[in-house]
Amino acid sequence: MALLHLDHLSLRFGGLTAVNDVSVAVERGQIFAIIGPNGAGKTSVFNAITGLYPPSGGRVLIDGRTVRSPPGPADLARWSLAGIVTGVGTALAINANVLWDAAINRSAHLKPFPWSETWNAVAATATQGAWTTIPFVIGAAVGVGAAWNAWRSSRCTPDAVARAGVARTFQNIRLFRDLSALDNVLVGMDRHLHARGWHAALRLPRHCREERDARETAMRELEFVSLGTAANQSASSLPYGHQRRLEIARALATRPALLLLDEPAAGMNPAEATKLMELIKRIRDRGITVVLIEHHMKVVMGISDRIAVLHYGNKIAEGTPAEIRANPQVIEAYLGKEELG
Amino acid sequence: MPPTPLSARLRMMTGAPLFLGVVALLPLLDLVLPDTWKFASLVPAIMAYAIVGLGLNIIAGFTGLLNLGSAAFMAIGAYTFAILTCPIYPFQIGFFPGLVAATVAGGAASLLLSLPTMRLRGDYVAIVTLGFGEIVQDVLKNLDAVTKGTQGLNPVATPALPGVTFTVGNYVPWFYLYLVVLIAAVWLCHNLRHSRLGRAWVAVREDELAARAMGLSTPRIKQLAFGIGSALCAAGGALFASLNGTSIEPGFYDFQQSVIILCIVIVGGMGNITGVLLGAFIMVGFNGIVLTKLTEMMARNGWTGDNVLAAPGNWKFMLYGIALILMMRLRPEGLLPAKGVQADMHHDDVGKLPPQGAR
Repeated sequence: MALLHLDHLSLRFGGLTAVNDVSVAVERGQIFAIIGPNGAGKTSVFNAITGLYPPSGGRVLIDGRTVRSPPGPADLARWSLAGIVTGVGTALAINANVLWDAAINRSAHLKPFPWSETWNAVAATATQGAWTTIPFVIGAAVGVGAAWNAWRSSRCTPDAVARAGVARTFQNIRLFRDLSALDNVLVGMDRHLHARGWHAALRLPRHCREERDARETAMRELEFVSLGTAANQSASSLPYGHQRRLEIARALATRPALLLLDEPAAGMNPAEATKLMELIKRIRDRGITVVLIEHHMKVVMGISDRIAVLHYGNKIAEGTPAEIRANPQVIEAYLGKEELG
Repeated sequence: MPPTPLSARLRMMTGAPLFLGVVALLPLLDLVLPDTWKFASLVPAIMAYAIVGLGLNIIAGFTGLLNLGSAAFMAIGAYTFAILTCPIYPFQIGFFPGLVAATVAGGAASLLLSLPTMRLRGDYVAIVTLGFGEIVQDVLKNLDAVTKGTQGLNPVATPALPGVTFTVGNYVPWFYLYLVVLIAAVWLCHNLRHSRLGRAWVAVREDELAARAMGLSTPRIKQLAFGIGSALCAAGGALFASLNGTSIEPGFYDFQQSVIILCIVIVGGMGNITGVLLGAFIMVGFNGIVLTKLTEMMARNGWTGDNVLAAPGNWKFMLYGIALILMMRLRPEGLLPAKGVQADMHHDDVGKLPPQGAR
């Protein structure tokens, strides 16, 4: 089964169709390139895969499944809990003054304080009709609705897609500029760390051990992209080419099954591009499937197993580098049609 | 991996510990200063504010959420503490349990607020917290069966430790107790900042979209920042209430108060723990020490009367205003900026564009 399957994917923004009925299957272990002239919809495809844009039509299947999952019993329990808590909270809040008077102030002068009667006083006041029931019902409805809405909008967000094993880099580099190169990679590793906030706050040994191991792993990841010596420099101070490779290291740190590279060779000179090609091959050799958008034809033709060509949102060709190079439609899209006569 | 350079380690070590060490010696200064210039008794209030500032620093400094309602969480802490320790109510659980309860209440209140709002970004967070600040004040005023309305609740518990008596007259026990709490808060903040949670906070501040693409659940991370930060604000509020012997009145926790807390964080340097301590000493110290001493001095010299200028308290906001304008003009990153924030504020190099979106 294909690792990534775009099933008749469409993306429309108002009247503009950015991606029109594109179907692509990327097999495990492939390096798959998406090329096309500027504005062909390449980055839009990436954004649809990573959950930034919901598809207007079609599906994105990762390992045969959509990231979007139906509600389970845990979700139902969460909604009901949210409803009960908001309902009770609203009812108590509306009646706070009255309840406090009945439960506390009325017997505040008594010593010792009659704690055993407090509950009865609250119960007696709370059951006096509509001023408890109505707020409870309204509050519960709001709570359930809000919890449901939160669940709905968090079903297919970029973080859920990333946790499903898809990592990406960005066309315009988006590093965490203030953090050191090492910390950038550590943020990428975050979903494989398990220390809780209070472990860290109290510096429990468990947290320290995990942190030390994580640093070693992150360091290996930096060395993999030959940035080992830049570990303690802040990301914003690195040269452009290094920033591109740091973004790749950060994405690799999430231990993805599928890596999406958005123009990794942009702005690189031929020597850097050659090194990048080797790096991408080494990533593939780690068992990670790579999909890349690239304009640099030497890179694309040199490393890709398969290539898809987009033009105005339509897929006009797909095949091996040799097939693409010979395809007249592709040549037309890139160079224009020869005037006859 | 290469070890952290020694200079960086020294910088990390000297900041907050050095500052707190100097503060710990302030009562000694009182032994040599003439009576009219003694000021260490005013420092515990600053420490309470420093803890509030550390809380806001987690929210605004580390995570980049502009919180304009921090005074509300101070109020929640102060009133929870007051309700649970005031002799007019039967709870009277004492200082330390009260402090813990106030902290928990602050965290819980902020979680309730953040559940529906943490999907918001940037300016919208500011508007929501601003509104929340106003609501809390109104609730405290109108919930008079519980909070005694505009009177405030008093007296509230003073600390109780075996062998030490805390009285209004002797500030030394307060001073060192509050210093210990402040050191604990600093330690906690430092540990959190250098953990996976702290990295995630900064990642969300730097580029929320990229953080999501790394699999971080950003609403959850923002909620945690908000919860922990507000809990610290509430703890500071409870300490301040105990020092004053009252929950103070709801009107005290107004927008102005939130702005002063925000100034503590901005003046010191967003995202820097030592900066927050310095900011608290400058902002609250100016109000509590400089103006107080100036008023006393003027009274001694007979410079009193109906003239506006005769009461330094009247100059306060003018001086704050001038200071902030100068600050923003000359050193927008704060006195002790966190590494990197400085680079962002002064990026003259056109080649490196700041990250888009995410603010």
